[in-house]
Amino acid sequence: MIADFSTIVARDMGIRRGGRWILRPTTFGITSGVVGLAGPPCSGRSALVATLATLRRPSVGALELLGHDVTGPSGQRAVRSRLGLLPDRFGWAAGVTVREFVAYAAYFKATPSHAVDAILERFELTDAAELEMDMLPADLRLRAGLAATCVHGPDLVFLDEPLSSIAEPERDELIGLLRGLAPAVVVTAPDPAELTGWCDRVFSIARARLIESLEVSRTWSRVPAGV
Amino acid sequence: MSDLGRVLRIDARRTAPFLAVPALALLGAVAAWRALLPGVAYWDDAVAALFASVRVLGPASAALAAWVALREHRLGYLRGLSARSPALGPLLDLMLLGVVALSAYTAVAMIVVVKTLLHVEAGHPQVLGLLAGALTLLVYTVIGYLAGRAVPRVATVLAASAVTCLWGVVRPGTWTYLLPPPGVEHIHPFAGLRTELLAGQALWSFGLGALLVTCHLWVLTRRARLAVPIVAAVAVIAVTTLWIHGQQRTPLAPRAFEYSCRQWPLTVCVHPALRTALPSLEAALTPLATRLSGTPGSFTKVEHRPDNDFPRPANGVVYIHLSDLSPGYEHRAEQEIQISLLDARTCGNPARAAGVRYTALVSAWLLDEAPPRLTDLTAARDFARWAEVRRRHWLRTHYLRYHSCTLRGRDFRVV
Repeated sequence: MIADFSTIVARDMGIRRGGRWILRPTTFGITSGVVGLAGPPCSGRSALVATLATLRRPSVGALELLGHDVTGPSGQRAVRSRLGLLPDRFGWAAGVTVREFVAYAAYFKATPSHAVDAILERFELTDAAELEMDMLPADLRLRAGLAATCVHGPDLVFLDEPLSSIAEPERDELIGLLRGLAPAVVVTAPDPAELTGWCDRVFSIARARLIESLEVSRTWSRVPAGV
Repeated sequence: MSDLGRVLRIDARRTAPFLAVPALALLGAVAAWRALLPGVAYWDDAVAALFASVRVLGPASAALAAWVALREHRLGYLRGLSARSPALGPLLDLMLLGVVALSAYTAVAMIVVVKTLLHVEAGHPQVLGLLAGALTLLVYTVIGYLAGRAVPRVATVLAASAVTCLWGVVRPGTWTYLLPPPGVEHIHPFAGLRTELLAGQALWSFGLGALLVTCHLWVLTRRARLAVPIVAAVAVIAVTTLWIHGQQRTPLAPRAFEYSCRQWPLTVCVHPALRTALPSLEAALTPLATRLSGTPGSFTKVEHRPDNDFPRPANGVVYIHLSDLSPGYEHRAEQEIQISLLDARTCGNPARAAGVRYTALVSAWLLDEAPPRLTDLTAARDFARWAEVRRRHWLRTHYLRYHSCTLRGRDFRVV
């Protein structure tokens, strides 16, 4: 179903690479909340996230984000300042501290520098702000990545396998954090089971098709996203 | 520090300037030093040495740029999804890489300039040559960076270096050796780089660099207004390529100069680029002139001539051809004068082999070399016993036989 106020609207959107379909033409809409996208490695999941984040163009069909047609350059320009993306195994400049990393992101997001301190505090990174990124444990590193991704207060955030290297004890705390990143959050994982239970909707990619899972536990969904 | 300054400082770490600049400068300096003519301080040759350094610096700079682009790819999620122009990140990278490459090039240029100045330079500094080299180096850098962005793989770094290196040494046609960096190894004195060709080469590099950068900006931004600089860059490249193709001739042109001379005891005149050689040439050639005095081969003046100019020695003037001052140049000059004393037609005749051997004995004395082994031991022994004055006197009477390689054994037994 596509609501008029959908955050993401894809109409007959398909992605091809190397002569084969990564995602066959499909139509879907996402309004708000936390949406899970599951698929094994090399299933095209990361390519779909990159397409939704406007880093690549769909091969066919139309794509609207936050009310803008992003298949053209003007729509992309209009919407990019409202998006956030944290790729799988995200990179950072060698030798930077957490503060420098977030400030670097803030510059490219055209965000004033005082927002850096605010986001560091929000993600409980104030004490780790002067530590080098290379020295951080996985959960703090993810927090720093999330802070850099969301320093400009995006309306739509894409997180590609954010919890892949996070140990179980820290997962629940971070899941709470992920749900509050933006009004709409798209998060991926290799297995749908990793997303079920805390995502409002879960999609799976199988054989280049996007299928919505209907077995979504609403344990976490009682907490509204974007809070 | 401003926000942009902080970003530049972080981005600069990827270019590793404190490592890259000295490493590139060392590479370029070695290449330039090897390309400079030994002992010659000639501005046109200095420009050729800079081009030689660009042929080495360029591929290294392209590899560095491809490596930086490869590492930049990991930050695409921050810089690509930017509220600012998506071109900002690549432009900052290109600016930093350009600064690194030009810093290394400036260091190389300083070394070449100082070396030329210290050796009493000749000719005039070719600023256009310096500019053409710098622009060509920037084009190499842009090519490496764009290749690294297009295919962010480690293999791209090697490929960028290999392809650009290949362009420096192998070209598809003769005229393409005039495209930057031009395939000139050495500029010998008497010739100079053509200024208009240097200007064309600088313009060609500028056009290619501008085309590559603006095309990449268009891919990133899809701004229609970029069509104007793209079309202009294509026009510049097309016009300069056609013009360079139309040249179809050597990049060198004869260069006007005034001889540098030393007047006493012998007049020795050389191209000003080799004027440091005057005292040693004077010292080396004076004994030869003394030994030949009173003979038809005597000379009082030695003149340095271009490699393609061989006038016949006459009226006491002999000619030498020196392209550089590598060790042994004084002896090479002596040998050239001595060879010019001989009649090539008769000395090359196999029937005169015996006479050639006696001539070699006399030539060895003239050149202060060890005498050759002769089968006529008597002649060799007698000649070795004679005092210097007696040998000179003997040469005055037997010069024509020496000249025509018709000396005989009994000529040495004449008192």
